[in-house]
Order: sequence, then structure tokens, then C-alpha cells
Amino acid sequence: MELITSFPLAEIFILFISAFLMPFFKKDKHIKIISISFLLIAFILSVFTLMFVFQNGPFYYAAGHIDTILGIQLYIGPVEALLSFVFLFVFILVVWFSFSTIDAEIQENRIKLFYIMVNLLAASILGIIFTNDIFNGYVFIEVAALTSCGIVVVKETQENIKAALKYLIMSTIGSGLILMGIAFIYAFTGHLNIELIHQVVLEDHETFQKSLLITVALFTAGLGVKSAMFPLHTWLPDAHSSAPTASSALLSAIVLKAFAFFLIKILYRMIGFDLVNQFSILTIILILGCCGMIFGSLSAIFQKNIKRLIAYSSIAQMGYVFFGIGLGSPFGAAIAVYHMVGHAVTKSALFMCSGLMIEETGHKTIDRYKGLGHEMPITFALFTLGAFSMIGIPILPGFISKWYLSLECIHLDKLLLIFVVLSSSLLNAVYYFPILINGFFGIENLQDKEYRSKKVPVKKTIPIAILILAMILIGALSKNILDFISPEFGL
Amino acid sequence: MTLLHNYYESASIILFGIGLCTLMLNQNLIKKIIGMNIMDTSIFLFLVSKGYIAGRSAPIITENYQGVNAYVNPIPSALILTGIVVAVSVTAFLLALTIKLYESYGTVDLEEILKMKGDDHGVNNKLPFS
Amino acid sequence: MPNILIVAPILFPFILSALLFLNDWEEKTRNRWILWGIILNFFILIFNFSVLEVNRIHILKFNEFVDIYFKIDMIGIVFSLLVSFLWILTAFYSIGYMAHERKPNRFFIFFTATLGVTIGIALAGNLVTLYLFYELLTLFTFPLVIHAGNETALKAGYKYLIYSFTGATLSLFGMFMIYSQTQNLDFMPGGILNVINENEIFYYFTAYALTFCGFGVKAGLVPFHSWLPSAMIAPTPVSALLHAVAVVKSGIFALVRITYYIFGPALILMIKGNHFALALILITILTGSFLAIHQTNLKKRLAYSTISQLGYIMLGLVVFNPNSFTGGMLHMIFHALIKITLFFCVGAIMHITGKTEIHEIQGLGKQLPKLMWCFSLSAVALIGIPPTSGFVSKWYLATGGLQSGSFIIPVVLLLSALLTAGYLLPIITIAFFKPIPNGEPVYQEPLPFMLIPIMILTGIVLLIGLFPNPIINVLETIANTVI
Repeated sequence: MELITSFPLAEIFILFISAFLMPFFKKDKHIKIISISFLLIAFILSVFTLMFVFQNGPFYYAAGHIDTILGIQLYIGPVEALLSFVFLFVFILVVWFSFSTIDAEIQENRIKLFYIMVNLLAASILGIIFTNDIFNGYVFIEVAALTSCGIVVVKETQENIKAALKYLIMSTIGSGLILMGIAFIYAFTGHLNIELIHQVVLEDHETFQKSLLITVALFTAGLGVKSAMFPLHTWLPDAHSSAPTASSALLSAIVLKAFAFFLIKILYRMIGFDLVNQFSILTIILILGCCGMIFGSLSAIFQKNIKRLIAYSSIAQMGYVFFGIGLGSPFGAAIAVYHMVGHAVTKSALFMCSGLMIEETGHKTIDRYKGLGHEMPITFALFTLGAFSMIGIPILPGFISKWYLSLECIHLDKLLLIFVVLSSSLLNAVYYFPILINGFFGIENLQDKEYRSKKVPVKKTIPIAILILAMILIGALSKNILDFISPEFGL
Repeated sequence: MTLLHNYYESASIILFGIGLCTLMLNQNLIKKIIGMNIMDTSIFLFLVSKGYIAGRSAPIITENYQGVNAYVNPIPSALILTGIVVAVSVTAFLLALTIKLYESYGTVDLEEILKMKGDDHGVNNKLPFS
Repeated sequence: MPNILIVAPILFPFILSALLFLNDWEEKTRNRWILWGIILNFFILIFNFSVLEVNRIHILKFNEFVDIYFKIDMIGIVFSLLVSFLWILTAFYSIGYMAHERKPNRFFIFFTATLGVTIGIALAGNLVTLYLFYELLTLFTFPLVIHAGNETALKAGYKYLIYSFTGATLSLFGMFMIYSQTQNLDFMPGGILNVINENEIFYYFTAYALTFCGFGVKAGLVPFHSWLPSAMIAPTPVSALLHAVAVVKSGIFALVRITYYIFGPALILMIKGNHFALALILITILTGSFLAIHQTNLKKRLAYSTISQLGYIMLGLVVFNPNSFTGGMLHMIFHALIKITLFFCVGAIMHITGKTEIHEIQGLGKQLPKLMWCFSLSAVALIGIPPTSGFVSKWYLATGGLQSGSFIIPVVLLLSALLTAGYLLPIITIAFFKPIPNGEPVYQEPLPFMLIPIMILTGIVLLIGLFPNPIINVLETIANTVI
């Protein structure tokens, strides 16, 4: 039992170690094996952690057994265990997928770098999720920011460098704000541990009410930049659309979520529900979430590059997460987490499908995808299922989160917000359906063309298929998942 | 008057503002990076001033231990050290990217770079259903 | 688990559809599978209704809200029997019709699957299940609408999708509003909402208006009707079955469910939801009739006539009088039978002669007497000249309207009946009394595959007008339980 509690730290460590091991190997093949095998080990550990948390409830782990005031502490509750499990799962599948596609996308001498970055990213994401210490969180956030820029720029085209620079600059602004927030909170509580800060804040928040508001605002803005909250999302479409497919999948599916989850930690664990609800900050998050849901979808309608379209859709989907956070109720936060889980799986699958489509057709624009459903039926069918979840076809996770969000709106007596949720899901339909319809029923491109369905090796689609399967499972088990994570938020 | 009494904090917030403005408003990439460094440094100043207690020495034991009350709070210093490392690495990465960008675009002005449109930047002007 | 049989008639068409998808059968084998499958499904349905003791089944229950639940009740039986019976005839007709069209396989895949979806709507035990199948209906009928595959068809398809999804979204919004009050969306005769106090009237009115408009989109409610004429681009069996029977009648059925099984007449009267609905419906009836007169395309004229006739049915639903309810439901059945016949005839005309405009069919009555007689008899029935079936339903509607003390309803009914005559009779006169233009080739009567369903349907239309009592008895029983 004692051993299992150290697994989270071990996960982070072995991933870091694997990243540092890689430079010693020369062959790309070995690098790939190291990358996935260490991810696999971490995944197995996360399964144990999840089971442990499921049976015994949340636990703390002091790294190095130092007294908590000085030392770094990890907190692993149901949400943390679940998120680390799902994210590692996605990581493994994306890395698996990348084996067959990455060679064509980036230069040969960058492949090693790519996998080093991926494993570092995985480690830092886990760090962000587990840590109970905000400064430690900041360090992990920086590592995540650098590595995620790294996996964008690893494909060295003009477009990529530009996008990565834009991303890095925006992300630097975010980091600056977060660090300032940390300095503030440390200045008047004297702690860096989330739990200890929470106690101090509870006791005498009246003496530094305004400073607390500034701190929360700094954290919200800083993490908002990094997780593409509505007006701060400008870097996202460039970065996500120009990156190699595997990177786009990771960035969209995981990195955004980790930052948003850190925001949940700050708002709800560090400050606390009751106190946060007194600030107008939640209303702002809610409004920005709504704007993101609507404008993200509206912008997606006008895109003709498929990866940009999916990237804009990510902004809309992050809007749902912020919507859930901004509702200011425990259940709202739980749905936000659920949406993260569902969206992580779905969006990575969508990006990987789009990557295969681009690879096979050689075109990035959606008007060239007419009749694609006949050319590459498996890939396109998987894409369709993923898109269905985004649109909100019942039982798939996209629907479930919209459903619960609406219910929670009713519960909180904010009926008008349902309208936003529903119109956003309608907008999702507006931009996903043309692709699907043209893919299955548009036949213009098929004339005088050989059917290439046999050319897409099934091997490439297996990871996507597994993700889609997981997506359906997440939809079907939504009640269990929500039951599992809601106690964390005091339900 | 409190502003003057807390001159470390005031100075660091002013610096933070200067850094943030430089970072956001300047189009020159090098200046942006400088702005970022100013911003980070201001935070370090803020933190270190929080840890400093007038009349105490640095928490480094040279000859003999003089009791807890003789030293300043060491945690901010430790944090800043980490922060500096992070800032340096980010700066290095940014500079590397800037060099790459300069090689391919011939300019470090972000506005000009963004004007040079890439291949598939296009936006569909037509509504899908019109 | 005998009660799992309840879902058999819903699942079976899907299995059939999957078989069609997976096997690349010869045309004859395929046709045999389709026909026997659909006929078998009809008998499974009858078997279910007569034998099963348990009449409800929960398939999946996530929580109080998302709960897939089927329940057999009288009105569901009526609707599902109607649908699956017409499906058999349409299957025969389509096999004749699709023989020379493109991609018959794809057509039949979705054609069979839609049967399952429609029966799912009929047997849904709560609003969530109904909503689920309602969305599925849109998805499964969409490929049928755009079957022609050209630009116009795709555009019509998009229009259909957007209208349907917007409608479904509106009704979903309404559902949330209801659920937030009741925590339960199971259908109960007479409604699940209790009578409420004054200050909640507006809330419930909004909820009712939203769900009514939302489901009204599929029922061709003006001003949400414009997808219906556009969707006539589809192959005729699709127009006939889906846009005169399955889709629009599913809309109507959903309206019945929310009006009588969720809100309940008492509550709607209290919130004055019926006034709102009545206004829209009267506009629908008149707009549909007036627009129909101006159409020169046969199919389009029938489409607008559908809109107006659907107005009658909805009218019967919101007067809250047992007679009107019976009349509305009767008209739902009669209209389904009549309109499908009319569409089949028009499709056969198109198939044989390639003619789509009304002025082109001069003298066709002499060349294709059997077909045109069937058309004329059904048209007369739709106009409502006694003793045809249309008269019976309109009579019930009018008496219901009078009993509820409203004079505008009979007036509109009469006016619209005149208009109906105005747009249907010219077709008959042109076909029978105009001379055959010079140089017209001699046409053959349609294939038996197409002609026999038309004749059977015409026979039923006539018979049912003479002996409507068994159906009326069933409907009156239902009417007494819900009002």
C-alpha cells in the first residue's frame, strides 16, 4: 500500500528519466521503443494509482518525506488519478500513431528530439496534475510550455516557426502573470502549498480581500492564455494547425486541459468554492466561456483547412470547460473535468483522422474531401463518430457534458445559458456536417480516381479506433465517472 | 504613503507593467524578449523583497549557526533561483526561434512576419450553406 | 426476458439494413430480403401487441434523465401499425420505382433503417427516447433526401438538416425546462405536470411554445415549413413515405405526446398555449392551401397540400375536445393513406412519362386510366366529399370545433376544403377532359409492382371511408383516456 502512494512521483520521474536517456541512443527505432515503453510503464502505474484511489480515497504524498511546509507535496484525488490515467492513455495512443506518420512529417534528425519532447511533456503534464504546490506547478507549467512549443517547431517550416513563436510569446505572458500571482499569494499567506494557503485564506481573507481578487485574476488570465480562453486564444489555431499531426493531437487534447485543470485547482482548492463565488471573476469566466463556445464555432464555420477547423473547434470546446468552471457550483466543476476527459479522447482521435486524410489525399482543405468516405472508409467512419460526439449525438461524451451543463444551468436558475449551450452545439453541427455529408455523398472527386481505401494500412487506424472506442465507453460510463469525481468537489 | 513605504513592491509592480507592455505592444521580437525578461525580473524583485527581513543576513551558515532569527527567509531566494533558470531557458528558446525566423523571413518585426502569409492560411469567405 | 421482444420490431429493420450493407446481393435476392423482412417486421409488431404481457422495458438508464425506455400504449400501437403497413406497400412500390434509379442499394439500406427509427418513435416511453429517435430520423432520412446526389438535392438536404436540428434544439430547450420542474419525462395520459400557480404561467407557456415549435418543424408548421417542398427533390417513394407519412407524422406524433402525455390539456388551457398553437395552425392550413394553388409542379402542389392537411391534424390536437382529437387522429391515418396514394400516382406518372408539370398531363386519363382513376378517387377523398374518408375526419373536426364553441374552426375548415378542391380538381379535369396533344406516344400502365400497391391503397381509402367505425372506436377510447 505504501508503495502505491509513491507511484505518481515515480510516473513523473521515469518519464523524465526516459527523456534524458534518449540522447544516448542513435537509432530512431530505439528512441521510439524507449518512448512508448516508458509511457506504458507510467500508464500501468497510473492504473494502479487509479485503482488505489478508487478503493482508498485520495491521498497525499510528500516528495522526499520533507515536512510539508517546505517540501513539495503531491495530492492524488479521484480527479487527478482519472486525468493522469486518461492523459497517459491518450499519450500512448498518439505516440503509437506517430510511429507511422512522423517520419513523413518532420526531418529525420528531428525525430529523436520529438520523442524527447513528448516524454518531457508527458512528465510535466503529470506534474501539473499531481502537484499540490503552486510554485512546483509553475515550474511544470513552464516545462510544458517549452516542450509543447518544441513539438510544434520540430517541423521546421516558416509556418511552424512563426506559429511556435506566437505561441511561446503568448505563453510567456501567461507564465509571467502566473508567477506574479504566486508571488502575491506567497506574500500574504507565506505558503506555497495549496492546502495550507487554503487554510490561511479561509481564516483571514477579509484582511486581504482585494489582493486575493488580484491574485485570482492573475491566475485566471495567465492560465487562460495557456488554455485558450476566448479572447486570449489567438495563438491556438496557428500552432495547432501547423504542427505535425501527433503534436496537434497532444496539444489540443491534453495540454490545454492540464492548464484548465490547474485553474480549477487554484479556484476551487486553493481559494475554495464559497470564497470564489463572492468574486465577480467567475462571472467573467462564465461569459468568456460562452463567448468562446459561440465564437470558436463561428470562426470554425469559415475555415477551409481541416486542421484549423478542428483547432477552432477546440477553442469552442474549451469554452465548455470554462463554462463549467464559471458556473461556480461543485457539479459545474465536475462536468468541466468530465468534459476534459471526453474531449481529450475525442479531439485527439479527430486530429489523427485529419492527419491521415491529409496524408492520403495530399490536401488540407475540406472541399477536397468530397467522396472521402468511399476512399478511406475506416478513417472517415472514425472521424464521423468523433464529429458526432462534438455535435452532441446522444450517449457520446459531447452530448453528456452538454446535457449535464444544461441541467446544472437549470439547477442554478440560469435558464438563458442553456440557450448558449444549445446554439453552440447547433453551430458545431453546422461545420461538422458539411464535411461528413460531402465525404459520404459528394462524389465529384471520385470520378476517374482509384479507390485508395486499401492504401491506408489498418495499422495506422488502430490507435484511432481504440480512442473512439474509449470515447464511446466514456459516454456510456458517464454516470460512474461523474460519481467518482464529484466527491472531490464536495458533492 | 503606503506606496512609498512599500517601495520594493511598488517598484516591482511598475517594472512588471513596463515589462508586460513591452512584451505585448512591441512588434520587434528582440524587444519582446527583453520585455519578458523585465517582467520576470520584476517578479523576482517582488519575491525577494518579501523574503528579506531588515537587519538579517543571508541564510548561509559560514562559521557557526546563529539561530533562526538571524537569517532572512530562504524560500523566496530558492524560488527565485528556480525562476531564473526557467526564465533563462525560455529566453534561450525564444532567441533560438527568433534566429530561425530571421533566417527564413529576413526580419525580426512580428507584424511584418505575420503579413507574409503562408500557403494554407486561407479563410473561407463563403458560408457553407449560402 | 420476454419483454426484450418489445424492441425487436425496432432492432429488426436495423439488422436488415446492416445485412443489406454488408452483403452485395443480386437484385432479386435483395428485393426478396427487403420484402420479407419488412412484412415479417409487421407481423412481429402484431405478435408483440397481441401476445406480450409486459408492455414496458428500460434499455439503458444513465440517470433519471437519460433513460432509454420503451412502452407500448394504444396510440403507439396505432401509429406503428400504420407506419409499418404503409412501409410494406412502399417497399413494393420502391422496388418497381428504384429498378432504374441510381444506387438502389444505398436507398434500401436507409429505407429499412428508417422503419426501425419510426417504430422507435412510436414506442418511445418517455420524451428523451422520443427525442433520441427523432434526431436519428433526421440522420437516417437525410441520405434519402439527397439521393439524387446533385447540387440541388444537397442544398435541399442541408436545408432539411438545418431546419430539423434547429427544431430539435428548440424542443430540447423546452424539455430541459420541463425536466427542471418535474424530474421526470415519462409519458402519462393526461400529462405529468400538475396544475400550477399564477406566476409560473409564463414559464410553462415558454416551454410549451418551444417544444411545440420545435416538433412542429417536422410537422410542417408554418413558418417552419419551407424544408418540406424543397425536400421533394427526393425520389418519389421517399417523398411519399417520408414527407407525407413517416417524417411529418412523426412530428405530429411527437406533438400528440407532448400535448397530451406531458403537458396535459388542463395545463395548456390554463397557460393559454392552445391560443398560440391555434393561431399558427390556422395560418398553416390557409398558407398551405393558397400556396398549393400556385404550384405548377405536381409534386410541389402535393407537398404544399401536405402542409395544409397537417394543419387539420394539428388543429384536432389543440381544441381539447374528444371529437376533435378523434378527428385529428383519424385525419392523420386517412391523410397518410391518401397522400401516399397520390404521391405514388404522381411518381408513376413521372416514371412512365417523365412529366412533372400539371399542364403536361393533358389527356393522361385516357392513356393511363387505372392510374388516373386511383389518383382521382384519392383526391376526392382528400377534398372530403361524402362518403369518402376525408369527409369523416373533417366532420369530426368540425363538430369538435363547434362543441368547443369556436366558429372560426368550421369556417376555416370549409374555406380550406374549397381550396383543396381548387388545387386538386384541376389536375383531374386536365387529365380526363383535355384532349390528348398531338404526337403523344402511347404509354403503358405502370409495372404491377407499382400499380398493385396503388390500387390496394385506393381500395383501402374507399373502404375505410365507408366503414370507419372500428378505427373510430379505437381512437375514441384513446381520446377518453387523455382528455
